[in-house]
Amino acid sequence: MRRVRSGLRAMALIATLGAVALVAACSGSGGGGVVDAAGLRELQADGVRVIDVRTAGEFAGARIPGAENVPIANAAAIAEAWDRTAPVVLYCATGERSAVVAETLRSMGFEEVYDYSGGMAAWDGEVEYGTVATAAPAVTTSGIPVLYEFYTDW
Amino acid sequence: MAPVVDRLKTEYEGKVEFRLLNADTDPDAASLGARFAVQYVPTFVLLDSDGTQRDMIVGEVSEDDLRAALDALR
Repeated sequence: MRRVRSGLRAMALIATLGAVALVAACSGSGGGGVVDAAGLRELQADGVRVIDVRTAGEFAGARIPGAENVPIANAAAIAEAWDRTAPVVLYCATGERSAVVAETLRSMGFEEVYDYSGGMAAWDGEVEYGTVATAAPAVTTSGIPVLYEFYTDW
Repeated sequence: MAPVVDRLKTEYEGKVEFRLLNADTDPDAASLGARFAVQYVPTFVLLDSDGTQRDMIVGEVSEDDLRAALDALR
């Protein structure tokens, strides 16, 4: 019985250590983590860079004021030049792409990566629309109705 | 969404013009995305023959729903 009991205790200890390791892995090796809209606002007020990892088209359509656009496809290459000790907060449309980029940056050694997991879909703050330098193009038809689809291969 | 759009594009040939814009690579995607305030992909913007915006569908849509939106165009 003793052996069984000590074995169970050992298994419980291993399970506990495993859980701790799993939590540590999920939350990254440094600071940062998942934040909500209020958390993003606080970080932005503290001067933390806000990175929108959606496509240029999505970014041009609507974005969180002050955000920079670094599409997921280019994020790793562009972030190579960034200061890995400086915090960043990421967002996308729904949190899916920003979570991927957050893990990428952590694996690159970024110490403080925040992921606004709600994305634009849950953003309840101010929204900035349109591009600064590009005038809205006129939309003409060839005499029949038109369907535009904005899509991505990602 | 590509198979659904491809099927409907064939079905509505001559009745509705399909303009498909890759948000990552199409040079017009940013300006037109801003024009229609597109926030997510996929997004469908449907215009009547006079250019008036009739509908906008954000996110995945069923073939039946997209067909209904196309049938409502004038």
